[in-house]
Amino acid sequence: MIRMTGLTVQFGGVRPLDDLSAELAEPIVGLIGPNGAGKTTLLNVISGFVMPTAGKLEVDGRSYLALAPTKRVRLGLRRMFQTEQVVEDLTIFDNIVAIIDHVGSDDPVAEVGRAVAYLEIASLDRYGAELNLFERRLVELARTIVGRPKLIVMDEPAAGLTESETATFRHHLLGIPATFGAQVLLVDHDVDLIASTCSETLVLDFGRRLAVGPTRAVLADETVRRAYLGALS
Amino acid sequence: METFLPFLASGTGIGAVYALSGVGLVVLYRTTGVLNLAYGALGALAAFVAWTMIEAGQPAPLAISAGIVATAAGSLVYGGLIAPRLAYRDRVVRAVGTLGFALILLGAIGWYWGEAPRRLLLATDKLYLELWSVRLTYTRILALITALVMVAGVALLLRRSRLGLSMRALADDRNVSAVVGIKVGTIEMVAWLISGVFAGICGIFLGDLVRLEAHLLTFLVVPAISAAIAGRLSGLTETAVAGVLIGVGEALLTPIQAIAPYRTAVPFVVALAAVALLPTHRSVESD
Amino acid sequence: MLTSPLPSSGARRYRSLVPIAAGTTFLAAVVIAFANAYWISTFSSVVALALACSGIAVLYGQLGLVSLCQYALLGVGGWVALRVSHGLHASFEICLLAGGLVAAMIGVLWGLPAFRLRGLYLAVVTLMLAGTFQVVISASGFPDGGPGFFGRADAAQRQLMARPRIAEGDRAYLAYAFAVLLLGLILVELHRRSVPGRAWALIRRSETGALAAGVNIAFYKAWAFALSGFLAGIGGGLLAGAVGQLDGRAFTAADSILVFALTVVGGAYDWFGPIIAGLLLRAVPSLLTDFAVNGYIALVIFGVALLHALVTAPVGIAGQLSAVAARFSARLGRAGRRA
Repeated sequence: MIRMTGLTVQFGGVRPLDDLSAELAEPIVGLIGPNGAGKTTLLNVISGFVMPTAGKLEVDGRSYLALAPTKRVRLGLRRMFQTEQVVEDLTIFDNIVAIIDHVGSDDPVAEVGRAVAYLEIASLDRYGAELNLFERRLVELARTIVGRPKLIVMDEPAAGLTESETATFRHHLLGIPATFGAQVLLVDHDVDLIASTCSETLVLDFGRRLAVGPTRAVLADETVRRAYLGALS
Repeated sequence: METFLPFLASGTGIGAVYALSGVGLVVLYRTTGVLNLAYGALGALAAFVAWTMIEAGQPAPLAISAGIVATAAGSLVYGGLIAPRLAYRDRVVRAVGTLGFALILLGAIGWYWGEAPRRLLLATDKLYLELWSVRLTYTRILALITALVMVAGVALLLRRSRLGLSMRALADDRNVSAVVGIKVGTIEMVAWLISGVFAGICGIFLGDLVRLEAHLLTFLVVPAISAAIAGRLSGLTETAVAGVLIGVGEALLTPIQAIAPYRTAVPFVVALAAVALLPTHRSVESD
Repeated sequence: MLTSPLPSSGARRYRSLVPIAAGTTFLAAVVIAFANAYWISTFSSVVALALACSGIAVLYGQLGLVSLCQYALLGVGGWVALRVSHGLHASFEICLLAGGLVAAMIGVLWGLPAFRLRGLYLAVVTLMLAGTFQVVISASGFPDGGPGFFGRADAAQRQLMARPRIAEGDRAYLAYAFAVLLLGLILVELHRRSVPGRAWALIRRSETGALAAGVNIAFYKAWAFALSGFLAGIGGGLLAGAVGQLDGRAFTAADSILVFALTVVGGAYDWFGPIIAGLLLRAVPSLLTDFAVNGYIALVIFGVALLHALVTAPVGIAGQLSAVAARFSARLGRAGRRA
């Protein structure tokens, strides 16, 4: 559960987040809005890379702002970035184990096995350099589901994937809360992906909350259509 | 107090040159992103060329100009031929490239001129001013004045001229500058030229004020780097002030017997302190 | 549906140690069997330098960090080893370890302010350490058997460092040095294949990504720096034992720069790159002297080699040799399959 109260970020004359308040409790939550709306800034605040100038942020009842980024990861925060982050010189196995190294696990090898079985990744020996974009995204997804995750934040994870790859990705995403017990916050421009996976969505515009609530209602909202989706005739 | 005064005087002279060096480094770094570790070696080249010409009987102004031209040319050669091939690598690699250049220069100077100790003597060394019983040679006064004029000059250039505006644009964001129509290549070459001229002048002054020895002059880039870091690699005034303070600090330790042999470590320690006091810079985007 | 089995916890990672052990042992055997007295003594320096260069390779190859103080840390290690040897008459191994540990500590403490900053600041800070060490050591010199903290004796009472009892002769000492080098290379490889190596790879890929993966970046940079300093320190002890004494005027900042430059040229991404680097550092000046060419030309050659490595061959000589070997074995593999 993510709870933000009056979250504000100010850099000089720019205010990427402006008095943002929301309570997001659904298993898969969407975060949408036009470019520059503050979505990545919000993700950076959650990750700990940006300190807000005002406001509070709580994840699963715990105040996040006092915690260092690495501490948040140990408590169960995971992130998938817009640009892929697979290490080319390491094997798939090592790429995934690298996360377990720092979050801990009773049996790292079994942990990797579980993630890999869930995502249907075939061979663990291949090096990052040999993988195509979809395979790299799967490896990154594997990294998010190991080591008892609590909150997985994804920034346009399906960007650049084909229709069928996106469908596979969507299939894996839908099972994560039930199988691994983690909440997912998904940022994407693909409204179909949001609509088909997220039960709740938050819409940002100019750093402010434009709408929040059940996805279908939010996507049908007039103000949201005007600001972002385009009005339907 | 009296024991320290002459050292205060000599320290201010050298400090002025350190300040000038630091500013030359910062202007180049801000415009091109390259921290030129060969700055001292380039200065050494100017000093040796000037020395050779003076020994051959040429008038001092001609010799000095020749030295500056040689260094400016060297700077342009690196900036035009080699720096562009490392332009898309990260800043550390580009600085390491200048290290390679420094090795080449150091080797070439050592090979051509050899190791014999030399003095670069200028006419201004023999004339001096007496201020409060301290002898200030004209060379030191000239160093102070030159430093003031050149630092003010380059600051004015950056703030008031079109060229300066382009250089500051490049410092801010190289790619956007190119898109906006600024001729990145040309502006960078101008920065290398200006920096080369600064290096040449500093090298000649240091060859006179300290010693004409290639190894030593090459490593006098270190006080310049210290000054530049104290200025956060961006502020010209802070860099200049830091340079003067380093020079004075170094000199003032000379009469203290116990520390004297270690006083050349002052710039190193200052740089370390400056880095320790820098705010942590979490670079969220890549270099 | 996994097509390859999950790796069991240790067996596979140790496979990479075999070529390192085999290659180093083979080189040692060849040199010790066939070299004359001059080359035996030269190779003792080469091995010490190779250890220092392997430390640079850890920092630059694994993390992209530039350290310009490695020869100074070699000097620190040598100083401590000499002091412990003359003052405490401890066994050679203790002297080496002491040298390694102190060098590691000094490297980390000095570099600490720069670990949270951009890599450029670390390069500058290490250059400062090299310069400070140069000033200090040329003023105070290395211990040579005398009393007091600095351990300086006057001419009549100067001592040479005691070599290990099992390796007093030159050939035996070289074998000992090669054994230490092998242990150092194995230590590095073990790091690469476990938690620190993976953390370093994540940091290298992206610091932000590493943070998001829970990696404490300053800690792992410090660890790499400590390992690098440790290797340099041990190398310094070996050098002291090889020559018997060290000259305070021979540890300039320029030497540290050369160690870095030649590691890049030799290859920072393969285990034998540092050995090539050590060879170049010692062999090139010797060859130039043999051909009556001015020693300064070595600097020019090294500068050009560094620029060449940076611009066209970042993997260095070792990397290029590895690539050729890989292509060759791929071709053999194809030929074998066709037959």
